[in-house]
Amino acid sequence: MALRRSVTRLVGDLNLLPSLLPRGAALLHSHATSFGFKEVPEEEKSKLVGNVFTSVSSNYDLMNDMMSAGLHRLWKDRLVSKLHPFPGMKHLDVAGGTGDVAFRVLESINSVSRRAMQHGLAETEEETQIYICDINPNMLNVGKKRAIERGLGENHCLHWIEGDAEALSFDDGSMDGYTIAFGIRNVTRIEKALAEAYRVLKRGGRFLCLELSHVELPIFKQLYDYYSFSVIPAMGELVAGDRESYKYLVESIRRFPNQEAFARMIVDTGFQKVEYENLVGGVVAIHSGLKL
Amino acid sequence: MLRSVAARRLLAHLVSPGRSAAAPAFRRLSTPASPQPNQPHTSSEQPQGEPPNPTPGASASSRATGEDGGTHPRRAGPGPRARGDYEEEQARVLRAALPHVVRFGWSESAMIAGARDVGISPSIVGSFPRKEAALVEFFMDDCLQRLIDRIDSGEELKNSILSDRLSKLIRIRLEMQAPYISKWPQALSIQAQPMNLPTSFKQRALLVDEIWHAVGHTGSDIDWYVKRTVLGGIYSTSEVYMVTDHSPDFRDTWKFLDHRIKDAFDLQKTVQEAAYLAEAVAAGMGNSVQGVVRRVFQG
Repeated sequence: MALRRSVTRLVGDLNLLPSLLPRGAALLHSHATSFGFKEVPEEEKSKLVGNVFTSVSSNYDLMNDMMSAGLHRLWKDRLVSKLHPFPGMKHLDVAGGTGDVAFRVLESINSVSRRAMQHGLAETEEETQIYICDINPNMLNVGKKRAIERGLGENHCLHWIEGDAEALSFDDGSMDGYTIAFGIRNVTRIEKALAEAYRVLKRGGRFLCLELSHVELPIFKQLYDYYSFSVIPAMGELVAGDRESYKYLVESIRRFPNQEAFARMIVDTGFQKVEYENLVGGVVAIHSGLKL
Repeated sequence: MLRSVAARRLLAHLVSPGRSAAAPAFRRLSTPASPQPNQPHTSSEQPQGEPPNPTPGASASSRATGEDGGTHPRRAGPGPRARGDYEEEQARVLRAALPHVVRFGWSESAMIAGARDVGISPSIVGSFPRKEAALVEFFMDDCLQRLIDRIDSGEELKNSILSDRLSKLIRIRLEMQAPYISKWPQALSIQAQPMNLPTSFKQRALLVDEIWHAVGHTGSDIDWYVKRTVLGGIYSTSEVYMVTDHSPDFRDTWKFLDHRIKDAFDLQKTVQEAAYLAEAVAAGMGNSVQGVVRRVFQG
C-alpha cells in the first residue's frame, strides 16, 4: 500500500500477572470520565456514546468514506489479513455494527483460493461462525440490511448480537479471534473490554484492535490536527447534519491513550506477543496480542 | 524470532555441553520427527493420545479440557503452563505440524492441523511472521540439533578417512529429510524466496560449520571460507539430487555424494600440485634468470 508506512514494534511481555500499575490508573480513570474534551460522570458516558451512534448510524458508512477518503477500507483489509482467518473459525467482531470487518472475514474464508488450499482439512472442519456484537441496535440493523444487500441475508455463519464490550455474553475460551475496529475508543472502561476479550478467547486466540491513534510526525501532525478539528465537524454538519457527534469523535481520538500506552494496557491484561503497526504515519494503529 | 533463539540455544549448547535449562524445546526430542500415521480426526474435540512434548507440570486435566474450548472453563488453577511462553508454544505447534507436511505440504494447512493437534486455536498461525517459512526453518533447526546430538553420541566418527567422515555426516543429515522428500522441492522454493533467503542462508552456513567442526579437520591447506563453500556446494547438490532419486533407500544419492566429495579432494590435490609445480617452475626460472644476470654483470 503506497499510502501506508508501517512501523511494527514489539512490546516486551513483562508481567505474568495482569495488574494495573499506578501510572496507568490515572490515564484509565480519565478515559472513563471523558466524553471528548468534556468531563462527564462515568455512568453517563455510555449513554452519551449511545446517543452519538444512534444519530450517526444511518450515515456511518458514508461519513467513514468521506472522512478517510476511502482509506478505511484498506485499513480494514489490512486488519483482516493480519487476522489470517481459517475455515472453521469462531470469530467475534465487537463494535462492528455495520459489519465491515465481519464481511471481510467471511469473504476471506470463502475465497476460492482458500478453499482450494483447505480441501484437505474438510473432514476436520467445523462450521465457521462469525459473531457481530454491538451495543447499539441501530448499528446492527444497518449491518443486517447490508448483509441482505450482499446476499448474505440467509447466511447461517453470521450472528448479530446486541451486547456490551465490557460484559460479553459469550463463554470463556470460545473464540478463535477477536477484533474491534474503531470501537475501543468508545467504551467506558478500556481495561474491562480488554479483560473480556481475554476471557472469551481460546488459547492461541488472537486479539486485534484497529483504532485511530496518535500522530507524532512534525508537519503531518499539524495538518492532521487542522483536518480533524476544522474539516471533519464541518463535513459532519454538511452531510449528516450533526456537528456535535463528529466533534466528539475527533476529541475522543485525542483523549485515547497513545500507541505505546495502549500496548502496555494490552500486556497488562495478560496478552503475549503484543505488537502494533502504524498506518498512515500513526493516524491509525493496529494492535495485536495473543492469548496463551 | 525463532531463528535467533535457535542460534542462541545452539551456541549455549556448544559452549556448555550437557543439558541447559534454556534449551528444553530442542533437547526434549527423543524420537525423530517421522510422519506418524494420520489418525482420522472426527472432531477437533478429541484429545490426542500422546502430546508431542509434555512439559513438566502438564496435568491430565489440562489435556482433557485442552480441546473443549467452548463448553468447559479452561483449567482449574494457574498451572505452570497457564502463562505459556510464546516461543515454546510456537515450537510445539510447529513440531506437531511436521507429521502433516507429507499430506498438506509446507503450508498453513499443515500448521493449522498441528495447532489443532496440540490443543491451541489455529489463530496462532496468524501470528507467525512468515508463515510457511517458519515451519521450514523450524525443521531445519530441528534437523541440525538432531545432527549435533548424533555427533555428540560419538559413534559416527570412528572412521579415520576424512572423506568418509564427511560422507557419513552429510548422509545422516540428508536422511532426516527422507520422510518429507515428496514435498522437499516446496521447502526449497520457500527457502529461496527473497524474504526468507537470509535466514535459510544462515541456517545452511551453521550446518556446514557444524559438520566441519565435527569432522575436526584443521588442515591449513584450504582456507576457512573455501572449505565451507565447497561443502555447502556438495550438500546442496546432493540435496537436489535426492529430490529426483527414486532408487531404493536413496542409494544413488549416496553414490553421487561420495563422488562429489572425491572430486572436491581431487580438486584440492590438483590445486596443491599445481601450486607445487608453479613453485618449482618459478624456482627453476629464478635460477636461470639469476645465472643470466650473473653472467651479464660478470661478463
